[in-house]
Amino acid sequence: MKKLISTAIAIFIVANVMAQGIKFNFAILNTQPPAQLSEWGNRREVLTLIVTGGQPGAPGGQFKIKTEIKTTDGTVVASADLAKTPVFTLNSTGTPLILFANDVMPLEFMAFTGKYKTSLERTGKLPAGNYILCARPVNIIDYTPQGEEQCKTFYLASTQLPILMKPYNEEVMDAKKAQTAIIFRWSPVVPTQPSPVTYRIQVFEVLPTQSPVQALRSNQPLLDKEVLAATQFIWQPQLSFYRMMKKQKTSHIYMDHTIAGCKWEPRNTNRW
Amino acid sequence: MMKRKIITSSFFLCMFVTTSLAQEVDSLLNKVKDKAKEKLQISGTMGVTYEGYGLNRSPSGWTGYQPRRPWNQVRFNFTPTFKFSKNFSLPFNFNFAAIPTNFAGPYAGIKKPTFGQFITNPMNSFGINPKYKWAELQLGTQYLKYSELSTGDIGVFGVGVDLRPKIFRFKFFTGISQQGINYVAGPPTVTGAYKRKNWMAQIGLEKEDSYLFAINIAKGKDVPTSAAPPPLTIRPQEGIVISLVSDLYRRKAFILKPKAHNLLFTKDLATPLSSNVKSLKPFIEAHTSTITDFAGQLAVGKKGKNLDLGVMVKYLGAGFQTIGYPFLQSDRLDYLLNTRINAWKNKMNIVASLGQRVNNVKNTALRAKQFIGNLNWFTQFSDNFSLNINYNNFGFQTASGLNPFGIKNVSNDLGINPTFTFTGKKIIHLISMSYNYSKYDERDVYSGLTTSNNTHTGVLTYVPTYLEKEISPDFSILYFYNDVPGAKITLATLSAALSMQAAKKEDAAQGAITVYLGKT
Repeated sequence: MKKLISTAIAIFIVANVMAQGIKFNFAILNTQPPAQLSEWGNRREVLTLIVTGGQPGAPGGQFKIKTEIKTTDGTVVASADLAKTPVFTLNSTGTPLILFANDVMPLEFMAFTGKYKTSLERTGKLPAGNYILCARPVNIIDYTPQGEEQCKTFYLASTQLPILMKPYNEEVMDAKKAQTAIIFRWSPVVPTQPSPVTYRIQVFEVLPTQSPVQALRSNQPLLDKEVLAATQFIWQPQLSFYRMMKKQKTSHIYMDHTIAGCKWEPRNTNRW
Repeated sequence: MMKRKIITSSFFLCMFVTTSLAQEVDSLLNKVKDKAKEKLQISGTMGVTYEGYGLNRSPSGWTGYQPRRPWNQVRFNFTPTFKFSKNFSLPFNFNFAAIPTNFAGPYAGIKKPTFGQFITNPMNSFGINPKYKWAELQLGTQYLKYSELSTGDIGVFGVGVDLRPKIFRFKFFTGISQQGINYVAGPPTVTGAYKRKNWMAQIGLEKEDSYLFAINIAKGKDVPTSAAPPPLTIRPQEGIVISLVSDLYRRKAFILKPKAHNLLFTKDLATPLSSNVKSLKPFIEAHTSTITDFAGQLAVGKKGKNLDLGVMVKYLGAGFQTIGYPFLQSDRLDYLLNTRINAWKNKMNIVASLGQRVNNVKNTALRAKQFIGNLNWFTQFSDNFSLNINYNNFGFQTASGLNPFGIKNVSNDLGINPTFTFTGKKIIHLISMSYNYSKYDERDVYSGLTTSNNTHTGVLTYVPTYLEKEISPDFSILYFYNDVPGAKITLATLSAALSMQAAKKEDAAQGAITVYLGKT
């Protein structure tokens, strides 16, 4: 009889919680979250979900999160595999449960569709555009809804990093001109950013015994300059690009997010 | 106004010199050779280089001018090859520096490296490659390129073999390309790095100048526990590339080089395991941050005495990111046509290339197109007069998001370089002029207006060569003018240099005076 009573009480409490519903209140705090979806889990500031609805001191309150990513026209891009997603339990103290991107959108349990699956496999990103992330608490057994669905819109950008335009890769430059001025040019970051972009340009000397990447990984840069909102920098090296040794060319490599190499070569090669 | 004063000085004491020390080595080697009754041959270089650098800034600590080198640096070079017989050789490649610098720390900031950090520092090479007939043992630092886009252009410290019995090829190497370096908040901040292990192997068939058919596999994996505290901005990674390489030559004139590469790359080993991307067990297990993609390349060419012609197409998928090429620009499709023409009894030489690069191939909204054209035309009109003309065009075009106009940047460079030579009984006068015009047009994405950035560069050089003296002076004057809306830069440089050759014409001393004048 006691067992029957306690079971009835437990059912009543759980039913009461369900009747009240589990309330989701979540925010995608970053208006332009990382395009790399696996990065969301490393950054707690991207997504926060606050779950409330539990009764203080009440047991139970278990739920799963049914997560879907949709395009703005309602096409489902990805949905959580509820058979695999983790079970969450409301705090028995009644304090809100705070979850993050890894909990709400566990990539390992998300099933993506069509071209979005292909894009994610190849790049780790979804095609650039606006998406809607929806989450709803569901029963852990039959996945019936236990609360209202909450949706938030976010934008994934596909940023094109700068491409070095001048000096072009493997360009051989006149040493006398190069030691006075060298023009560096690169393409801007696209799409155009709301705030001015700072570019960082570095130039490394490649020693005769070094490979270009070895120089990049180990040498101190001859030039390390941050350029704000401009895609050109005129460098006045005030260095001699002549070498004391015969037949020795000085070679340099420069980078600005992406990389290209170029060489300064003595003009009168007969003399070197 | 705060007065800023920069005094820089640098001097390089080059004791390296293959020449003087190499001569001593040669003489020693000759004695050794005699004793060995010509059984042992030794060749190569060895030396020590000291580099001194100084920078004074006023006020001290002014950040407008940064040091370019370590204050003191000593570099050692020891690269002899011992040849014991026709079949057995022992080459050494030791190049290392006393002051360690590394990208993982502030430059010259790794004060007390461990022995492991020192020998695996990317700036140092310690390699020994004993070779007997077709078998080569690879020990220490090696820069191995089994194929383009697979093993990479980074040095790996480890052990391996390169076996080439008849037409068969078997290569294997394993080692470390980066030691673990702890993160230090500083100042100065040390970025830190994970220890990276590398493995690579090749199996194939090759007949020199005839064909090559090989399968390569290259893998790299970071050790997440190798840095404590770990780097803040770097994630432990893992990647594998499997490539199929084939080169076909026909009478050394026709070349066909198709290559295909498939890759799995995990951007963050700390992310959970996932079945969304198919794993390649036992080599790699997929995580949620694992991507898989493809790269391919096809090159066809024909070589002749007076005409070379080649076509190359290269595709790198958007997710093609390899351990061996950390700075590779992926997501692109390149077309390139190369040609070389010799005419007028070899007095005229033309080298030209024409190509297009498409970036962001996967994203039609932001697809960017670059046009690349280069031409170099050299003509020797007479013994006294030659002319070189070069032209480069580089264009970049793409949409710019929601802005009314897309990005369109076009760079055009034209260079004209006549050279006159007058020969006397005791002197040869060389007068060379060079003029470059660079025009860079940039479209504003809001207004659609195009602004031009024009640069003019002129150089006049005079080089007298004394036939009976060991001195070689040269004099030059340079003018540089850059004009962009709102700013103009004018620079002039006067320079004079004098070099003197030693008696054996192997050593040279050189001094130069350069005066820079600038106006902005």
